[in-house]
Amino acid sequence: MESLVSLRGVTRTVVLPDDQKLHILRGIDLEVSAGDHTAIIGRSGCGKSTLLNLLGLLDVPTDGEIQFLGTPVLQIGGNARARLRGSTVGFVFQQFNLLPGRSALDNVITPLLYARGRDFLRRRELAMDMLDRVGLAGRARTMPNMLSGGEQQRVAIARALVRRPRLILADEPTGALDVETGQSVMALLDQVATESAAALVTITHDSNVAALARSSFRLDSGVLHPLDGQGTPGVALSGPALSALVSSGPAPLGPPSSEVRR
Amino acid sequence: MIGFMSAMVEAWQELRINKVRILLALLGVALSVAALTSVVGVGNLAREGFKASSERTGGRSATLALGVNGPTQPDPARLDVAYQSIVDRYGIAFSSHEGHAEQPFQFPRGVQSVQLVVVDPGYGVIHRLELQQGSWFASDDEQRLAPAVVVSEAFYNAAGRPDLALQPGVKTAGEQESNTVIIGVVPNTWPDAPPTAYILSGAAKQMGVNQLGGQFSVWVQDGQAEMLSAAIQADLAQQFPEMNIMAQRMDFAAHGDPLAPVQLVVGGIAGLVLLLGAVGMLNISMVTVRYRVREIGIRRSFGATSGRIFLGVMMESVVATAVAGLAGVMVAVAVVKHPWIQSKVAPALSQYPPFPIEAAMLGFGAAVLVGALAGAIPALVAVRVKVIDAIRF
Repeated sequence: MESLVSLRGVTRTVVLPDDQKLHILRGIDLEVSAGDHTAIIGRSGCGKSTLLNLLGLLDVPTDGEIQFLGTPVLQIGGNARARLRGSTVGFVFQQFNLLPGRSALDNVITPLLYARGRDFLRRRELAMDMLDRVGLAGRARTMPNMLSGGEQQRVAIARALVRRPRLILADEPTGALDVETGQSVMALLDQVATESAAALVTITHDSNVAALARSSFRLDSGVLHPLDGQGTPGVALSGPALSALVSSGPAPLGPPSSEVRR
Repeated sequence: MIGFMSAMVEAWQELRINKVRILLALLGVALSVAALTSVVGVGNLAREGFKASSERTGGRSATLALGVNGPTQPDPARLDVAYQSIVDRYGIAFSSHEGHAEQPFQFPRGVQSVQLVVVDPGYGVIHRLELQQGSWFASDDEQRLAPAVVVSEAFYNAAGRPDLALQPGVKTAGEQESNTVIIGVVPNTWPDAPPTAYILSGAAKQMGVNQLGGQFSVWVQDGQAEMLSAAIQADLAQQFPEMNIMAQRMDFAAHGDPLAPVQLVVGGIAGLVLLLGAVGMLNISMVTVRYRVREIGIRRSFGATSGRIFLGVMMESVVATAVAGLAGVMVAVAVVKHPWIQSKVAPALSQYPPFPIEAAMLGFGAAVLVGALAGAIPALVAVRVKVIDAIRF
C-alpha cells in the first residue's frame, strides 16, 4: 500500500513565554497509507491536534522527519505545502467551521476556489455532486445556521472531500454531536472515505468512535501507543504479537498498514 | 489566470456576504469619488464656458492685439499697409481689424443705438463666433451695395426676427441713412446684452462710420506668440517712431489657465475627503480581518497560499472601491451633464462638451488606488494569521 505520510521520531516543542520548553509530542513514529482508517485517542491537551496539524502540513516538526508522499516536508516551501495540502488533504473539524453567511453549497465550493483548471471551472457541479453524496442536495441553498449539527457536519464532510483528497483528517468530528448523530456521521465519513479510497485519520476522545477505525492509537503525554480494538493499550502491530492479538481479540484489526515503531 | 479569476470570485463572494458593512464603508469612497470627478468635470465645463466667452472678447489662444498710439493718431492708410505687410511677412492666415462705434438703427419700434463692431472676415475665426442662424462674412461681402451685418440676438429681436432667407434689411438712422442686410445672428454675449452688430471694415468706411480707437488682431500659434510679439513690435516701432506700439496677447490663456488655482483647491479638498474615506475603509477592513481570523485559517487549511490570502483580502477592498468608484463616476456624470448645472456653469456655451474621459478615469483610478492601499495593510495582517491558532476551538 502506498505510504501517504510517515513520521519518524517526530518531536514538537513550543517555547513558553517564561522561556520554558513545552514538549507537546515526543518521538512519534506513525505511518499512514492509502485506504487506512486510523483513530488517535487521547485526553484533552495531550497533543492530538498538534499531531493532526503535522499530518495535514499545517505545522512542521521541531525534530524528526515527516515524509509526505515520499518527500520530506521540510524540503517543501510554504506555498507548495499549501497547494499540496489543498489537493491532497481534507479537514473535518469538531466545530464544523462552516463559513458563516455562505450557503451549504458555497461552503462546499470554497476549497475548489483554490483548485486549478477544470476543478475550478466545474466547481458548482462538483460541489452539488458532493452534497448529493452526503444526502444534502436538497439543502444546498440553506445557510449553516439553519442546519442541524449533524447536517452541518455532513456539509463539512462534503467540503473536506470535494477535492477528492487522499488523506482525510478529522479532528473530533463527533465532539459537538449527540451519540446517535455522531455515529451516523462517523458511518458516513467511513463510507465516503472507503468509496474514494482515501486514508482517514480520526482524532477523538470517544472510544466508541475509535473502535470504528481499523487501527487505533492512544496519545498520552505526547507519546503514541498502539491500541487493540478494546481501547486498551496494545503491543506493536507486527510479528508474533500481532498474530496473537488477531487470534485472541474479538475485534479483528485491519491490515497492519499503520504501524508503530518504538 | 485561473488563480486571478478565483481570487476575484472569492472577493466578490466576500462582498456579497458583507454587503451592509461594505456599503457603509464605501459610501464615503463613492461620495468622494463623485466629488473629485465632479470637480474635474464641472471645472472642465466652466473652463470651456469661460474659454468660449473669453474667446468672443479676447480671441482664441494665441491672439496678438496690435495697436499704434501716440500724441497724434497715425495715418489709418499707412497703418493698414503696415498691418498688411506683417500679415504677409509672417504668413498669418487669420487677422482682423477691430473697431467700435455707436450707430443708431431704425427698428420697427423706433430708433435704437447699436454697438457696431467693425471687423474683417478673419474676426469670426479668431473669436470662434458660433452663429445661431445665417452665416458669417465671406470676403466678397464687402462688395455688396447694401452692407451686410451679422447681428446679436438682441438686435435680431429688435428687428422683429425676420427670415434671413429673405435678406431682411434694416436701415441705419442719423445723418447718413443706409440700408443694411442681416446675414447672420450670434447669441447674446450675456443675458440682456444691448443690441450689437458686426460690420466689415470696408462697408463701415463706405457708410462713414466714425470708429472709436481700433486695433488689429492676428491669430498665431501658441508657441510662436512670444517671438512674433517681439518681432512685430520691432517692425512697427521702425515704421512709427515716437509712437507707443502694442503687440500683446489678449486671449484668456495669456497668463496661464485662469481656472487652475480654483480647480486645484477644490480638487485638493476632494482628495482629502477621499483620504478620509480610505481611512474609514482601512479601519473597517482591519476590524473585519481580526474578526475573520478563523475563516482565514479555514481557508489556509483548504490549501490557500499566503499569496492567495493576501490577494483575496486586498481584492475584496479593490473590487469594493472599484464598484464604489464606478458609482461615484456615474453620479458625477449625472451632475456634470445635468442641463440646469450646465446652463449655470457655462452660460456662454450653446453646445456643451462631452463628459471628460480623463475626469472619469481619474475618479475610477483614485478609487482603485484607495482600495489597494486600504486593502494592503489588512491583507498583510491576514497573511500573518497562524493557521493553527486560527482553527483552534
